[in-house]
Amino acid sequence: MVQINQKITVAFNVNGGDVEIDVTPETALVDMLRDGLLLKGAKRSCDMQVCGACTVLVDGLPVSACTVPAFEVRGKSVTTIEGVAADDRMAGLTDAFIDNAAIQCGFCTPGMVLAAKSLLDRNPHPSEDEIKDYMRGNICRCTGYKKIVEAIQEAAQKAVQG
Amino acid sequence: MTQQEFNTVGQSVRRIDSYDKISGRAVYSVDVVVPGMAYAKLVPSPLPHALIKSIDASKARALPGVYAVLTAAELVNMETHYGSDKKDRPIVAMNKVRFQGEPVAAVAAVDLATAEAAAELVEVEYEALSAASDLTSALLPDAEPIHDSNYCHEYGYEWGDVDAAFAGCDRIFEDTFLFPMVYHYAMEPHTCVVSYEHDRIRTWTSAQHPFLVRAELARIFGMQLDQVQVVVPYVGGGYGSKSYTKIEPLVAALSREAGRPVRLAQSVEESMKTVRRHAARATIRTGVMNDGTFVARECLSYVDTGGYTDNGVRVTERISDRIVGPYIFDNVRVKSYGIYTNSTPAGSFRSIGGPQASWACESQTDIIAEALGIDPIQLRLKNLAKKGDEVRRGKRPLEGDLAPKLQMVLDKFGWDNYVREDPSPTVKRGIGFACNVTNSGASPTSTSLVRFHADGSSTVYIGTTEIGQGSRSVMAQIAAEELRIPLASIKVIGSDTDAVPYDRSTGSSRSTTLMGLAVHDAAVDVREQLLEIAAKHFETFADQIEAADGKATFKGESMTFGALVREMFGGSGGELMGRGYVTQNHASGRLTQDPVFWEVSIGAAEVEVDEDTGTVKLLRYVSASDPGKAINPKQVEGQDEGAAMQAIGHSMFEEMLFEDGQFLNPNLVDYRVPTFEDLPGEFETVLIEFGDGPGPYGSKGVGEGGIVCVAPAIANAIFNATGVRLRELPLTPERVWRAIEKSKQ
Amino acid sequence: MRPFRLYEPTTINETVATLSELGDDGKLYAGGTELLLAMKTGLLQYDGLVNVKTVPELEGVSYSNGTLTIGARATHSTVEHSADVLAHAPLIASVEHRVANVRVRNVGTVVGNLCFAEPHSDPGALLLLYEAEVDIASPSGTRSVSVEQLVVGPYETSLAGDELVTRVRVPLLPNGMRGAYLKFGYHHRPTLGVGAAVSVTDGKFLDVRLTLGSAPPKPTRMRDAEAVLRGAAVDDPAVAIEAGRIAAEGCDAIDDLHGSAEYKRHLVQVFVQRALAEAVERGVK
Repeated sequence: MVQINQKITVAFNVNGGDVEIDVTPETALVDMLRDGLLLKGAKRSCDMQVCGACTVLVDGLPVSACTVPAFEVRGKSVTTIEGVAADDRMAGLTDAFIDNAAIQCGFCTPGMVLAAKSLLDRNPHPSEDEIKDYMRGNICRCTGYKKIVEAIQEAAQKAVQG
Repeated sequence: MTQQEFNTVGQSVRRIDSYDKISGRAVYSVDVVVPGMAYAKLVPSPLPHALIKSIDASKARALPGVYAVLTAAELVNMETHYGSDKKDRPIVAMNKVRFQGEPVAAVAAVDLATAEAAAELVEVEYEALSAASDLTSALLPDAEPIHDSNYCHEYGYEWGDVDAAFAGCDRIFEDTFLFPMVYHYAMEPHTCVVSYEHDRIRTWTSAQHPFLVRAELARIFGMQLDQVQVVVPYVGGGYGSKSYTKIEPLVAALSREAGRPVRLAQSVEESMKTVRRHAARATIRTGVMNDGTFVARECLSYVDTGGYTDNGVRVTERISDRIVGPYIFDNVRVKSYGIYTNSTPAGSFRSIGGPQASWACESQTDIIAEALGIDPIQLRLKNLAKKGDEVRRGKRPLEGDLAPKLQMVLDKFGWDNYVREDPSPTVKRGIGFACNVTNSGASPTSTSLVRFHADGSSTVYIGTTEIGQGSRSVMAQIAAEELRIPLASIKVIGSDTDAVPYDRSTGSSRSTTLMGLAVHDAAVDVREQLLEIAAKHFETFADQIEAADGKATFKGESMTFGALVREMFGGSGGELMGRGYVTQNHASGRLTQDPVFWEVSIGAAEVEVDEDTGTVKLLRYVSASDPGKAINPKQVEGQDEGAAMQAIGHSMFEEMLFEDGQFLNPNLVDYRVPTFEDLPGEFETVLIEFGDGPGPYGSKGVGEGGIVCVAPAIANAIFNATGVRLRELPLTPERVWRAIEKSKQ
Repeated sequence: MRPFRLYEPTTINETVATLSELGDDGKLYAGGTELLLAMKTGLLQYDGLVNVKTVPELEGVSYSNGTLTIGARATHSTVEHSADVLAHAPLIASVEHRVANVRVRNVGTVVGNLCFAEPHSDPGALLLLYEAEVDIASPSGTRSVSVEQLVVGPYETSLAGDELVTRVRVPLLPNGMRGAYLKFGYHHRPTLGVGAAVSVTDGKFLDVRLTLGSAPPKPTRMRDAEAVLRGAAVDDPAVAIEAGRIAAEGCDAIDDLHGSAEYKRHLVQVFVQRALAEAVERGVK
């Protein structure tokens, strides 16, 4: 039985590198990433797990970093948009977002890309309905979604040809 | 100029901010860190309408880590109120609160947790007043006045002999339509960092109009314009919610009080208590002849501007400007009132007054068509304004015919060949159409500076804020086109009032047209300077020299632009500067009339209505965007799709709910915005490019039109499917079900 | 959010002992998808959270002898993708797939969902359809109750402060019984969910279960409506209409953001009929 009063050391892997950082139990993952590690790509918006702007992947699965406590990622691997951007293997997906004009204000984009990556990791050839179903938890207020669907379809298509 | 002559204009090139945004390195206001900054928390009023009897901040001030508490008592040696048209908004509430969530005080502390704890220690004593949080209760004769009265603004116009014209009509229709309060939900809530220093104010803020914020801060604190710096990083969505001045004066005053930089990053709830769209009640009376000729129209609209005016003056005017529709009436009388209520102040939202006006007028067009037994499209075509017609007398005539534009949408939709197939006797399908033109509220005041470097690259300075609309890319395309250099050689600097020249605002779909002209002119200025240098070099006249691909060529001999710059300065460096001024007297002669342009909105919808539950499924939606010339076609489409999707929200489910002034759904769980699953089965934008705009290459503004016609198109389709007419938004399943049930009785 | 202490027990006994010690100041924490939202907005405040995710015994989804067992640590996603669930109760997988969004499902637990007792939610009404039971541990021993007895009202359960739901046991539907679950809503959370499970012999309903979620204050078994169906002809539409009517009448709906009580009762009537039809259809297939 462990009791943590004020400080908890979170040792985890972020974007391929091991880090250790001290946080309080109530610290949200998004704050640890943004304020502690200066990984500002994840954004806080609705703060209620509805919008997806704070999406990061924990052991490959998307979560809402606004609500998941930082201590939850002890011993785990976290992927943020900075990790995706630095990974050449992800260029097919990020290029598809860019070429399909699936980015406008960009505030949702990091979460949107990570959610799309997670979808394609599990389902490399999603149908349009499967894309809408999986992505329904990520809100974009600018694009009207159509071009994001097209971007994900193109990324999937390119991966096949790839 | 024909299309083939362009290099980058007309191409869907990659946005120049793409990599910043896809990599997470794009800096938004929420990402700004200023050394030594304190964190702010607001103390909101729990009551929608009350007198402030006392504020005791002593416990909050005594909390370790608290730097300052701002209350009305601290608003000294400064102007205390702000606002775009009426300066009725106190920086923090003074004597009285007018809506739930109005900041009564604000705390600055060493960290957010301390600020939050201190905010709870601020003790405010209120004397509650009766609250009116909707138009009906605010207009009651015995309603408690929110300001001097509950009337904020009044507007109207008239032409023809309206009463006589109605007397001569075959039929008169009168209908009242309701439009709800809705919220923009720009995903980045309002965020601002201000460093108030003894001789200057530095501001980083999520504002659409940095130069208007600068002027407001200078006025409030008695400084000169050059002493106030407003930097706008990338903005996480605007749609009007960040227009004019919002939280900046409060943060500046708090920074002055705290003696250090202060950051206020609002929550979504706080932003939902900062600004929203005006709810509206619009009554339209229309007199027609039996053959469908529109004769007379009389409109009375009320818009609910909430606790303070914000943009209530202009919205009151715009709903009236836009409610007559794209039709020719010889007799018109229009009146509108802006009304204060005890609710979130209402400001700009993508096409101010436009969706409210079109919801009313384009629903009624179909009501009239049905009653007269005339096809709704034919009724529209019969009365539609043509090129050169003044839909608003005394205003700029229409730049182009509307009928062919309507036809493009109808063709894409397959309107004429539509065959209705109901899935079952209680699940019905139908189609609906709507159109309008909206006068852009843009003021033609923009400037740009283009620096041309000694290596042939260029930096373009614009005041346009990048709120997602892609202006930086479009301006780069225009500059590259006119400078005759590759797009990759252009850098765009935006939205730092210390660095970039003046631009009035980013709104009203104005930037491509007005800032576009400024950038165009500044680039042409540079090009002409380059040609002059080249003329000297080649010992010829400037008009003998061809400028292309970054080179000046004369009789087969070429010199790069960079080399020309270096030659002029006689060394390895130097640069040229070009300037573009846009005023209503612009040399093109196209900006003298108001409005600068008319934005076109057209939509066609197919719906499926489940009569047992009232659920409406949007099977298809075809929208139109009329940019005159699409400088970046995919971005134009994206603007239109995004606007239409926002309209799907206010048409189908979005609604801010108030009960006795208490805001019931101030969060994204209870206030639902569209998701991927709300995409219509088919969702298309038709691009109309007739080159009939006043902007560069015949372009004109887009981005708002897509939001204007969705609601009436859907309601008209529901009527077509079920025979039931809805006059109140949103078209929630329960509302639709009730209307169907009522029609059965 | 107010600061809290985090307790990380490694056994069930430690967990309930800690809960007992903390009393009203402590709360169990599993996925936190509901709890932390309430704590962020200040609706709930606790000095200590007791993390069940450090207790290995509470892990996993398993199947044996006609019963699925969902441990207290099992997330919605775990259940949704569990091979056992997909093989033996695909309806549960498909309903779990429609819970909230993928991020919430990756973190939130099924047991946590039941214990938070948010009324606008699907798992409760779904598990009622299966007559699921929960096992409860406390310092004084263990007990079991049905899901129906566990959830007593909005955000309210019959659990004592020192009790921990260790798992939910889901017996498969009896042989020949086919289930369906329909949800309806246009907000983030559902307006209504209706579960129907039927077995049919000789064109007549042999056994029927009807459950209702989101519209009433807690997941509810609609026994009066079930009663009119048992023994009635499957192809007699009047019977389903009558069952819907009775279910609607018995639904303790309130006016809220999701709609008026009147509309919700109407929806109950419609969706009882639709869920019955779908369950019958599945039986035919």
